Amino acid sequence: MIHFERQGLLWYSGIFLLGIFIVMAIFPSQIAPYDPGERFMPYEEPESGHLLGTNDIGNDIFSELVSGARISLIIGFASAILTTIIGLAIGLTAGYFRGLADEVLMGLTDVVLIIPKIPLIIVLAAFLRPGLWLLVLVLGVFSWESIARVVRSKTLQVREMGFVKSAECMGFGSLHIMISEIIPNIIYVVTPKFMLATAAAMISEASLSFLGLGDPSMGSWGNMLSFAFSRGGFVRDMWWWYLPPGLCITLCVISITVIGFAFEGEDEGVRIE
Amino acid sequence: MGYVLKKAIRYIASFFAIICLNFALPRAMPGDPVMNLIGEDIYVPASKLEEIRSEIGLDLPISEQFTDYLWGILHGDLGYSYHLHGEVSSLILSRLSWTLLFVGVSVILGAVIGILAGALAGWRAGTLKSRFITCASMAVACTPPYFLAMLFLTVFAFKLGLFPFKGFYDEPTIWSVIHHLFLPVLVLTLFSASRNLLVMRGSVIQEKKSLYALYAKAKGLYDQNILFRHVLRNASLPVITLIALDFGFIFSGALFLEIVFSLNGMGTLIYDAIMGRDYPLLQGTFLVIAIAVIVANIIADILYAVLDPRIRRKDA
Repeated sequence: MIHFERQGLLWYSGIFLLGIFIVMAIFPSQIAPYDPGERFMPYEEPESGHLLGTNDIGNDIFSELVSGARISLIIGFASAILTTIIGLAIGLTAGYFRGLADEVLMGLTDVVLIIPKIPLIIVLAAFLRPGLWLLVLVLGVFSWESIARVVRSKTLQVREMGFVKSAECMGFGSLHIMISEIIPNIIYVVTPKFMLATAAAMISEASLSFLGLGDPSMGSWGNMLSFAFSRGGFVRDMWWWYLPPGLCITLCVISITVIGFAFEGEDEGVRIE
Repeated sequence: MGYVLKKAIRYIASFFAIICLNFALPRAMPGDPVMNLIGEDIYVPASKLEEIRSEIGLDLPISEQFTDYLWGILHGDLGYSYHLHGEVSSLILSRLSWTLLFVGVSVILGAVIGILAGALAGWRAGTLKSRFITCASMAVACTPPYFLAMLFLTVFAFKLGLFPFKGFYDEPTIWSVIHHLFLPVLVLTLFSASRNLLVMRGSVIQEKKSLYALYAKAKGLYDQNILFRHVLRNASLPVITLIALDFGFIFSGALFLEIVFSLNGMGTLIYDAIMGRDYPLLQGTFLVIAIAVIVANIIADILYAVLDPRIRRKDA
């Protein structure tokens, strides 16, 4: 869709930004000055020894921000892994076996494609009040359509190639051929889709948290933003409270998207002119 | 014949899947189905609970419940909101028109701007202007819509005081409505335009390499003419599919914007339903949004056939 090369300013700044967020997610306690649960004076301004001030219950906002990286990234990547596994399984089965399996699975994909995802996830989350892992499940289960389609069309090409035919002649089972012959040859179309699924899941998480669905004590960036909005940080114009989590979500999603698009551009052999 | 039939089956199946989901959810979720069907956070005495149970037919066999449910939906009965003491269908109807106006204007503007700007960005890919607009679109597309709305509200309404910060109008005149809706429509349009732009740009880059574009150039047509007369039409086909599939996404975005801009549309209705755990209302809104998305897809299919004669011929 969008063609970037895997070099140049965009690519490196994407890698750099994502690197920062990953470091934040792995070593929160080394970076954050305080424990995110520790309480100080509420509504402190940024100058007061707290880099980004404190929120309504006196938590240090910068520390919350650092530890939120882990939650938001886990939700994004874990749901994208789930999405990719489902999409890969459906696409491979449809493309490899063709015929009835293809008709049924792609029909299913078309049907699921139309159902509006965010409203569905809102309804589900309202019933379930999901915690971290249930949220990953809900976000991951409903967005595999585009991966399934891409995988199917690539599988249709690859399955006609010589090495697949020889593997068939040598008597390997279908499962073995799919896993060790086809997947390695289509994985490059899956990688960018995986990155985009991660980005989409992070935005969905932020949206659900904004509505107060999901676990409010999870401490993700979406939760922080939601509290800043519902507990007066936004109306009182406390930019140090609502701006940082929003910017973190946006920058993180942008960096992941840029990296995804760079992979996509490469496999199509198209460079930005 | 085959093509239209296949599409129709697809839409009917989607609609049926959504109805089944809506039917199954309150009955399959943890907790007492009665509470799931009337909504929590509402006090009902035990005797009344049994009365409601038989009133909504939960004591009937499941197949009979399903036919009743289906019959109700076909007659426009989406259930009863025990929180707001009203029919879900009339509650939604009173809010729907504002949201549809808001979404409709933004989707159309977003499509026109996205297609035109995307076409230029793809045609002149590599120029500084094109790179800038592509990066800006990516940034907008990667921002959660409600966060973008919060930023715009802060800057243009709170800081600069150019726009009112809540409601649809002060007095029911068209100017007041435009004044109030300008910011939300702007944010949603930006959002939808940026997504369309990115796809259109990629599509034009692909089309640019095709032979008919080269032939048009060899024929001596002006650069702009090749783009707007020949390439634009072909390149916009994938965007039209995207706009239709994106409709649900933009609609959801609108719901969040309504919450930020305090507009009394479907979004605030859903927000209140979530806060009060008003499940019947929540499910009713989901069904209505799903229907809107299906209708948008049908419109896109028709548009596609108008633009692409190959599709029409498949049918003849």
